[in-house]
Amino acid sequence: MFALTLLNSLEGFFFGSGKAHVVTGVALIILAGLAIALWRMDRRLSRLEAESKESHR
Amino acid sequence: MNGAWNWIWKGGGIVLLAYVILRGFSTPLQPGLVTATPSQLKLGMQTVTLTAAGQPFGKEGASLSEFTVVLRAGDQLLKTETQEVQPHGITVAVNVPGVLPSRALDAFVFTPSAGTLFLGNACFVEEAAKGDIPASYVANKPDESTPQLGFSFPFQPNIIESIRNLLWHVPMWFSMFFIMGLGFVASLGQLRTGKVMWDLRAEAAVRTGLLFGLLGLATGSLWARWTWGAWWVSDPQLNGALVTVLLYSGYLILRSAMGDDDRVGRLAAVYNVFAFVMLVILLMVLPRYTESLHPGKDGNPGFNKYDLDNSLRAVFYPAVIGWGSLCYWMYTLRLRMNRIAYSLLSR
Amino acid sequence: MALSLRTLRNAWTVARLEWQLEWRQGHQLAAVGLFAIASVYVAFQASDQRTDPASWTAMLWLVYLFSGFTAIGRLFDRERSDVRRYLQWTADPLGLILGKLFHSILTTTALTALVLGAFILFLGWPQGAGELTKPALLVLGAWLGGLSITVTLVFVSAVASQVRAGSGALGAVLGLPLLLPQLILSTRLTRGALSDTPWAILAEYPLFLAAISAGTATLACILFPYIWRA
Repeated sequence: MFALTLLNSLEGFFFGSGKAHVVTGVALIILAGLAIALWRMDRRLSRLEAESKESHR
Repeated sequence: MNGAWNWIWKGGGIVLLAYVILRGFSTPLQPGLVTATPSQLKLGMQTVTLTAAGQPFGKEGASLSEFTVVLRAGDQLLKTETQEVQPHGITVAVNVPGVLPSRALDAFVFTPSAGTLFLGNACFVEEAAKGDIPASYVANKPDESTPQLGFSFPFQPNIIESIRNLLWHVPMWFSMFFIMGLGFVASLGQLRTGKVMWDLRAEAAVRTGLLFGLLGLATGSLWARWTWGAWWVSDPQLNGALVTVLLYSGYLILRSAMGDDDRVGRLAAVYNVFAFVMLVILLMVLPRYTESLHPGKDGNPGFNKYDLDNSLRAVFYPAVIGWGSLCYWMYTLRLRMNRIAYSLLSR
Repeated sequence: MALSLRTLRNAWTVARLEWQLEWRQGHQLAAVGLFAIASVYVAFQASDQRTDPASWTAMLWLVYLFSGFTAIGRLFDRERSDVRRYLQWTADPLGLILGKLFHSILTTTALTALVLGAFILFLGWPQGAGELTKPALLVLGAWLGGLSITVTLVFVSAVASQVRAGSGALGAVLGLPLLLPQLILSTRLTRGALSDTPWAILAEYPLFLAAISAGTATLACILFPYIWRA
């Protein structure tokens, strides 16, 4: 029930006409996507760093 | 020299994006009509309210005589009496005659400073018989003012405020094609020289391109839900985008299926070249044989004005360059990471 | 890369070898036939011979697509490994791919006859299509569409055969997105041939399909040596 209410209010937030919230949604998706990509790259670099330290020893 | 150039394009990209985001959210939208209530008119005297979105076209309690509303049926104009003007709405009294050239009425609002606002098929008159509007109901075409709106984005029916998405969603695709083109060139280099550095470039390009492609799909889907009412519609742009993402996912699947086979670079390059050529064919074929809802295409002439609109262009082009440079930046990061991984692996 | 007489002789040899292999190992051909007829039969059972042109077309091309996968999918791994090594040393890659492409033309012809035949036998013509006024265009469209599919599949199976682990599923994964333009054109053409759209309007579809087939075949010829020189 709560989830449904939340979903409804989300729909209202993003798809109510005359508002720019859909732009907010689009911007959030892009920023979140880029953040996730950077996060994953960061993690992989940490792994590579660890590997390179190991091989230097 | 190289270092300075790096600063210029990276910093320039960031500055451009900052400009785009500020401009994109702060620029007001030109006013435009959204709805008419009631949309079903009876015969005789009644009032109709036209509501508008975008920046206000009238002040509270503005002088009523400066605003004129006419309704158009076929090619004839029906006069109205302005009763109330609000920042985002105007109420008029209209006397609907029993005979009209068309049952659908278009609304025109002539304003003193915001130009002429238009709403197609604003109202319908079910009971009207077909014929010419009687002379006493006919309006004369008022004088049009030239809009003085300053720097503002054009109003598009259905799209309204979401026109700002143009600065986020569309550059994702531009960036993707730019970086996939780079990957294509890298794959050609791989095939010509057989050097592993080209393969590392191609892989970095495809991965970065896929990220931007997926972001384009997700944002496009959300925008489509807002504008067209469905998360997914059959549309050449969307289908093309989906196929692009599938094709390049195939590239990554091929790579991971090869494992650490030392022919992976050449085979992936072969697939990438083939896929890119098929993609070009697909993007030629699709729009010819499927109808488009997308702006500027046959199904929706709404965005044709885009090419002419200077205010939008002044933000859209920097957006493309800014996102493109960000995409290229991510590509170089991934490439450097790939190089480190490769040198670790081959030691 | 030069197209010499030797290359053409090579191509001819490979094509003949393929064809002989196809006949001698009868199960390959039988497998494709069984797949096509069984799936048409399922379509027949599901639709009770009451299909509209759109679903008739959809079923035709789905059956065609997966028969194509069955027929071409393992084109490059079915020689015994010693034959394969022999070919790798003796045949030049261009001759080899030309031979395989030539073989795919024959396969397309056989597949078109098989699939269309099975459709007419079990499903009949779609309802509401009226008089079939352009049977030649229907057959031509099926053949050309099929050709554009099999040519691409030859390339895909060449790529997939280089992957040691499980090239069968990989072929489908790589092949399906690559086949979308061909399938879009083919389905539109078949639907046009079943409707009363005049020839002149539909004429560009076969031309486009032929151009795609020629283009992908050329691309496969250019790229194949890189795959083969392993």
